[in-house]
Amino acid sequence: MRNYSLTIRVLAACSLISLCLPLRTIAEVSDEDFAKLKAMVEDLNTQVQTLKTTHEEDQATIEKLQQKVGRTEETAADAKQEATAATAAATAAAQATPAPSNATHDFMVVGDAEVQFGQVIHPNQHAAFTLADFAPIFLFRTADNVLFETGFDVTLSNNAPNGTGYATNIDLSFATLDYMYNDYLTAMLGQLLLPLGTYNERGAGWLNKFPDDPLSRQVLPENGAGIELRGAFPLGQEGQSLTYALFGVNGPSSVDTSSSANQLDLFGNVGVQSNGVQGNLHEHPAGGGRIGWFYPWKPNYDVELGISGEFGPWDNAQTSLWYAAVADAAVHISPFAEIKGEYMNTWVQSGDMGTIQPRGWWIQGGYKLAGLNLDVPFVSNIELVARYDTVKDGLLEGVGTGTDRISGGFVYYITNTLWFEGDYEWLHSYGPNALPSQAYIFQMSYGF
Amino acid sequence: MSSLHRRSAWKLWLSGSGGAILIAAILYASTYPSSLYAGGDGKSEQKSDTSVSNPVKAQKLSGEDLYTIHCSRCHSQRYPKEWTPGQWKTLMMHMRVRANLPADQAREILKYMQEQSGN
Repeated sequence: MRNYSLTIRVLAACSLISLCLPLRTIAEVSDEDFAKLKAMVEDLNTQVQTLKTTHEEDQATIEKLQQKVGRTEETAADAKQEATAATAAATAAAQATPAPSNATHDFMVVGDAEVQFGQVIHPNQHAAFTLADFAPIFLFRTADNVLFETGFDVTLSNNAPNGTGYATNIDLSFATLDYMYNDYLTAMLGQLLLPLGTYNERGAGWLNKFPDDPLSRQVLPENGAGIELRGAFPLGQEGQSLTYALFGVNGPSSVDTSSSANQLDLFGNVGVQSNGVQGNLHEHPAGGGRIGWFYPWKPNYDVELGISGEFGPWDNAQTSLWYAAVADAAVHISPFAEIKGEYMNTWVQSGDMGTIQPRGWWIQGGYKLAGLNLDVPFVSNIELVARYDTVKDGLLEGVGTGTDRISGGFVYYITNTLWFEGDYEWLHSYGPNALPSQAYIFQMSYGF
Repeated sequence: MSSLHRRSAWKLWLSGSGGAILIAAILYASTYPSSLYAGGDGKSEQKSDTSVSNPVKAQKLSGEDLYTIHCSRCHSQRYPKEWTPGQWKTLMMHMRVRANLPADQAREILKYMQEQSGN
């Protein structure tokens, strides 16, 4: 009974509370406010839904972007690899042997040019620019074994003897068609530089370390029209070789057709014949050749020896012979020192003086001061040179002319092909065509 | 004169060792078959190597050594970059003839100059 009354009392309390609470709520939130709150909650719910949708879309976009970033990184990595490979390939290509030209034809121009300034000291003359020389060599390769080469000498000389101001000369030094039959035989046809000694072929203006030629070269012809066979045989493993050259050319002739000694013309058996026709003045050509031996015991240390000669009739009656013998030698001792020279003797059979012997020789030495290892500006670019040369025309004393000359000079190497040269010359000369006793010459040479 | 003089001159020349050696050299050289001048062209180089039975072993010096040995005999050394490989081919034909260089040595020099030309 006691539990029953408690239950009744609790129920009564709850009923009382339930009656009181709705009255209090009604009193604090009106329907209008509730509706507003409801609308607000619905708006918020809508916004939340919108945000949720936007978030999901953003997530999808982010995933796509992440995928793109991944692919971009892969692409970048691939590009980096390709760039690395390309760089390596380019480097390898740069280091590799360049592809040789497959062109079967090629034309090019090389050669040299010189300008001289000089003065004869005794007997005294005014100093002057005495020579300008342009000597191009045209090379035309038409096949792997065929080459046409020609060299000109275009010179401008002051003090033209029979004109005003100056004289311009154009000479054809050589013009040959070279056919390399095999490794040991080359045939040359045309105007040849004659292999009498080595100076003719290897003494072009900028190669000679003096501004002028050795006097003794004037007893020999420089060139001739004809044919030449030449070649070289290697000997052993160290660069040693044996060389040969054999030629037949028109040869020397007589200026006035006679065999008088002073009528010898070394430079060509071609002219106007007695019948007015241009051609050989006599029917017999001249022949000659050279053999040489070259021995290098190491780079920049070598010796070369050679003997050469030529012979043939020279007067129109073909009763007189001209012949020549030449010995040449060259030695290199280190990259800085060299000695070279030639001896030449010729015999001229004549109708008025018997057999005369125009002859001479020269020897030349050079030393590059770079070999002293001096730490002085410009000095290492200098090479000191000295030369002795002599020539005699072979005529009897009192009638003939002879000259001995001592020359001392220098070469200043501005570049490997641009040289400034100079020398002072002391001459002892006698006879009707004696030369001045002292002179100096400066020359700017350029090989191209 | 002078048939006597002329005969004596011929005799002087032909009896000299120079003339005899030259004639022998020409005859000897002409017995070898034709070969192209292999100036850096691989094809022609191969032809030359296979078509000539070299009576003397080719020397073993490098192209650089041969360049130093031969070129500085007559002039200052020229830099490989001065010319293109094709121009070097033409120039070396010229120098082989002018300086009478052995063909195989000229080829080695040419190969070296072309490799170093960088053109």
